[in-house]
Amino acid sequence: MSDEQIRRHTPVTIFIHWFNAFCWFFLLATGLGLIGNEQLQPMVGTWWPNMMRIIFGSGEMLLVLHIICGIVWTLVFLIYAVFGAKQYVIPFLKEILAVVPSRDIMWLITKQIQMTMGYKALGRIGKIFGFDMKIPDQSFYNVGQKLFAVPSILGGIVIVTTGIIMALSNVCITNTSLVQWSILIHFVTVGFVFAGLLIHIFMASIAIGERPAFISMFTGTVPAEYAKHHHKLWYDEVKGKLDV
Amino acid sequence: MKTQLAMVIDSSSCLDCKACMVSCKVENKVPEGYWRNWVKQRKPRFGDMPSPGNFGKVNGYGDPGSMHFQPGGCMHCANPTCVQACPTGATYRDEKDGTIRVNDKLCIGCACCIPACPYGARYRHPEKKIVDKCDFCAKRREWGELPACVVTCPTKARTFGNINDPESDAALLMKENKTVRVINQKTDTEPNMYYVSMTAPADWPRKAESPAPIRWWASLAKPLVWAVVGLNTLGIMVMFGKQLLIKDEEPET
Repeated sequence: MSDEQIRRHTPVTIFIHWFNAFCWFFLLATGLGLIGNEQLQPMVGTWWPNMMRIIFGSGEMLLVLHIICGIVWTLVFLIYAVFGAKQYVIPFLKEILAVVPSRDIMWLITKQIQMTMGYKALGRIGKIFGFDMKIPDQSFYNVGQKLFAVPSILGGIVIVTTGIIMALSNVCITNTSLVQWSILIHFVTVGFVFAGLLIHIFMASIAIGERPAFISMFTGTVPAEYAKHHHKLWYDEVKGKLDV
Repeated sequence: MKTQLAMVIDSSSCLDCKACMVSCKVENKVPEGYWRNWVKQRKPRFGDMPSPGNFGKVNGYGDPGSMHFQPGGCMHCANPTCVQACPTGATYRDEKDGTIRVNDKLCIGCACCIPACPYGARYRHPEKKIVDKCDFCAKRREWGELPACVVTCPTKARTFGNINDPESDAALLMKENKTVRVINQKTDTEPNMYYVSMTAPADWPRKAESPAPIRWWASLAKPLVWAVVGLNTLGIMVMFGKQLLIKDEEPET
C-alpha cells in the first residue's frame, strides 16, 4: 500500500518542463551576457558579459544564439499550445486559475509560518489569535505553485513579445522608442520571473518533503502518500475516479 | 603612452567647399539625406538697415561678426556619453587607438545612443536599421591611409594623428598653438577634436541625454529587480535555516 504510485505528469509535460528549464538557463546566461553596459548590468562589474563573450567568441555570436534559442523556445511552446491545447494546456490553465480566496489566503498565511518557523510556532500563533491554524488541503497545485505559474505564463508572453520587437529592430522597425522600451520591459520581466524561479528551484532541490515532486519530474509518478499529504483534494479526486 | 587618434582643425582656413563631406559620403557609402561629418557656419549679424523708423535702435552699425566655417564630425570623446547609453556594448571605445566605434553586428538599432551624443554625430541607417557614424575611416587607416576628409581638404584645415605621439603632425600643431574644443557646458564629453586658436559657432552642441528607458534602467529598474530577487533570496535563506535548525514534524490530528 505504501509503495502505491499515482501518475502526475505525462512524458509530454515532463519534456516541456525540462525543455523550458534548459531554454531559461541558456537564455538567462546569454541575455545577461548581452548587457555589456556596466551601469545596466545587474551583476557587479562586467565580468559576466566579458566571460560569456570569451566563451562564445564574441558579443555578436551571443546575440545570434540568444535570438535562435528564443525562437526555438517560442515555436516549441506555440506547437505545444496549439496541438496540446485540449489535452494539456487548457486543463493546466484551469488548474492554475482555480482560486478559492478564503482557502488560498489561509494557506498563504499558515504555510509561510510553517515554512519559516515550523508547526509548533504555527500552533502557538493559532492559540494567540484563537484560530485553528491548520494548513488547508490543496488541489493539483498549491497556492504557491499557482502564484508562480500565472506570472510565469504572463511574463513569458511579455518576454517573447518584447524579444521579437528587439530581434526585428534592425530588420523592419522604424519606431525606435518601441525598441528602447522593449529592452527595459524585457529585462524587468525576466528579473521578476527569475525571482520566482529561485523559490521554485529551492523547493525542488533543497526543501524537505518535496523530493518526490522533484523525482516525479523524471518518472512522472508520485507516491500516493505524498499526494495525500501535499495535494489532498487532487488525491481524493483521483481516488474517487478509481473507485468509480 | 596609449594611442589617441584625434583631429586638430584650423577652422579659419576652411572655405566651406564641403569637399570633406562629399569624400566622406562616397568613401563610407553614407545614404542620401545623412552625413557623417559637417561644416557649420557662423553668419555675420548684419541686422536691419537703418531707416527713419528705426534709426538709432537697430544694431546695423554694431559689430557684425565675421563669417566663420567650422568643419566637424564625431569627436571620439574621452568621456563618451553614447557608450554609456548603449545597452549591449555595440558602441564602444577602441582601447587600441582611442576611437569610438560601432560594432554593426552587435548593434540592434535601438538608437539609445543618438540623443546621448551632444553633437548629433550619429544617425540610424535607413536601410541597415543600425546606427552609423564617423570611425575616422577605419578601413583606410588599415591600409595606412588618412581619413578621406583629411586628404580631400584643399586648404588642409583638418590635421589627423595620434596626439599622444609628440612627433605627429596633430601633436605638433597642438604644441605650437592654443587650441579650443566645442562642448556643451552641462555635459562635457571631453571631445578629441581640437580647433586651432578659436572657432565658431560654439553654442550648438545639445545636452547629452540617454532616452528614458536607459535612464530608468539604472535608476529604477535595476534596484527594483535587485529588491525582488533579494527578498526571495532572503525568504529562501530563512526557510533553509529553519530546515537546518528545527526538526519540524506535523502534529497528528
